[in-house]
Amino acid sequence: MNFSKRNQVWIVVALAIWLVIASLPVVWTAIISLRSYVDAFANPVKWTAPVTFENYRALWVDREFYKNFVNTAIVTLGTVSISLTVGCLAAYALARYRGALGFWLLLLALVFRALPHSTLLPSFFTMFDALGIRNTYIALIFVLVAINQPFTIWMLRSFFMNIPAELDEAAMVDGCTRFQAFRRVVIPVMWPGIVTTGLFSFLLAYNDFLLSSALTNAEKMTMPAAIANSISAESEALLMQGVAGAVSITLPLIILVVLFQRQIVSGLTQGAVKG
Amino acid sequence: MARVQLNEVSRVWNSAGIRTVGLKPLSLDIADGEFIVLLGPSGCGKTTTMRIVAGLEESSAGEVWIGDRCVNSLEPKDRDVAMVFQSYGLYPNMTVRENIAFPLKIRGTPRADIEPAVARAAAMVELNDLLDRKPKALSGGQRQRVALARAIVRKPAVFLMDEPLSNLDAKLRVSMRSHIKHLHHTLKTTTIYVTHDQIEAMTLADRVVVMSKAEIQQIGTPQQIYNDPANTFVASFVGSPAMNLIEGELLAGVFRCNGIEIAGFDAVRDGRVLLGVRPEDVAVQAAATRDVDSQRYVLVNADVFTCELTGDATLVVCDVRGQRITAKADKNVRYEIGDKVGLGFSAIHSFLFDAVTQDRIRK
Ligand SMILES: Nc1ncnc2c1ncn2[C@@H]1O[C@H](COP(=O)(O)OP(=O)(O)O)[C@@H](O)[C@H]1O
Ligand SMILES: [Mg+2]
Repeated sequence: MNFSKRNQVWIVVALAIWLVIASLPVVWTAIISLRSYVDAFANPVKWTAPVTFENYRALWVDREFYKNFVNTAIVTLGTVSISLTVGCLAAYALARYRGALGFWLLLLALVFRALPHSTLLPSFFTMFDALGIRNTYIALIFVLVAINQPFTIWMLRSFFMNIPAELDEAAMVDGCTRFQAFRRVVIPVMWPGIVTTGLFSFLLAYNDFLLSSALTNAEKMTMPAAIANSISAESEALLMQGVAGAVSITLPLIILVVLFQRQIVSGLTQGAVKG
Repeated sequence: MARVQLNEVSRVWNSAGIRTVGLKPLSLDIADGEFIVLLGPSGCGKTTTMRIVAGLEESSAGEVWIGDRCVNSLEPKDRDVAMVFQSYGLYPNMTVRENIAFPLKIRGTPRADIEPAVARAAAMVELNDLLDRKPKALSGGQRQRVALARAIVRKPAVFLMDEPLSNLDAKLRVSMRSHIKHLHHTLKTTTIYVTHDQIEAMTLADRVVVMSKAEIQQIGTPQQIYNDPANTFVASFVGSPAMNLIEGELLAGVFRCNGIEIAGFDAVRDGRVLLGVRPEDVAVQAAATRDVDSQRYVLVNADVFTCELTGDATLVVCDVRGQRITAKADKNVRYEIGDKVGLGFSAIHSFLFDAVTQDRIRK
């Protein structure tokens, strides 16, 4: 795209305004998380105040928030790796298979995805009690994968569809088995698509509040559920811990997006690589 | 290097209750080192045939033999074939060097042997300067040469090429064509080449297999295909501009159609026929000077419909009582639209086809 100098100026100005509006709540939360309650919610608003790490110390050390962090890490990693593995295999098959059955499988996946998550909860309770795995990571990962999988398959499939079948076929004639062609030729080309899909999958698991609070007790809860369940506005100290918790949850997300921004952008814009 | 045989190979698809015949039972015997071209219009089953040989498509029936092995149950990788695809099928994340080396690497060739083999293959298609580029940074012709190099790097028993030149512009196509011909002369590997371009078929092939409607119409050398077509399809598909086909009646060795009367056929059969005459075998002369060669030619009055200059020849399209007939004349010949001309036909330069079966009527 080519913009004239003048238009470029306007675009920069508009983006800057948008950036301020969009980031203001986040930035303000981050600022007041480093203040005492009195300074944070002072009326009129205080633009500067003494910096304190007390809120973070109370949250991470006294309330042992690191346990929730570990829970989140386990659940998120489990969900992303399982749903990507299953998703890649299923999506590749569905992208290359031409029969009518593939269409019905994809439609079924869509229907499952469309259901509100809360409608599934009662049957999950019964099932997990019967299996004796309620309040375990496995159960939570299982549900998150199940809910996430249709979307993952659809998204990965559209990436695979953009990779010409000639590529797998060339690889198979050159000496690969079907699986080697998949792993050594198709997957490397798919990489941006996998990263993009993995990120969405990560966000779903990481941000989940409903399933974690319904299926796990306090010591197994992920960060968003723990913050929401145990920290309320009832006491000033708890409220400040909640603010610190919100910032603690957001920070890894920002780091992740910055780290993977190139793959995400190429995954979202080009869909796949042309030969 | 190997002989390739197809015995009654066919392919039928059944999806959602619709039966598609991709290939009717087809038999073909390709000699070791032969260059075979499958020629036909789009959708006639050329790619299907080639994919069945490669093992990328399963046949519904029949056997494929490569060398002394029946390869029906073998994976593509075990068939010892190399393939060049229409849109190249290069691995986009690998450099040219890695692309060419891939078939060797995946088959476990020792590292020390890969480098010289890649260099040799690259040299054959003049790619040495581009080895460190990614396919994205190459032109169409260069990509096609990488695909060729990847095919020749490992000495396979058979080369399969599916319309390898159809994505290139006309000039590049001609130069790549001679590249491929030269490669085949050097390597002498059995090659099956698919195209819908009759010039490519005529220039490259040892034998041409003309296909239409999922079956073989004729197999023969380029000369046989051109000079002795088996039916109207082959006659009109091969040759440019296409052969003139005039429907009429054959009676006691005389062809009659709407005022055209050509004697001298010693065909055994009377009845409805199609007369086929190649444009270069139709003589054109000004109506006023219709005296030349009346021994050999039967002259017919015609009006000029258009006159097309191709540079090396002049195509005179004429109207003979509603019948369009093209004649190929010398490059200096000029007529105006509407001019009266005489067209000369001769029995010895004509073909007769059955009007119903479309098959050639031979003596
Ligand atoms: N997977 C498939 N399912 C159904 N029909 C197919 C399939 N592949 C090819 N065909 C049909 O088989 C016929 C021959 O195709 P193809 O061999 O690709 O033709 P060509 O290469 O000569 O253009 C076409 O009519 C095509 O529609
Ligand atoms: Mg084809």
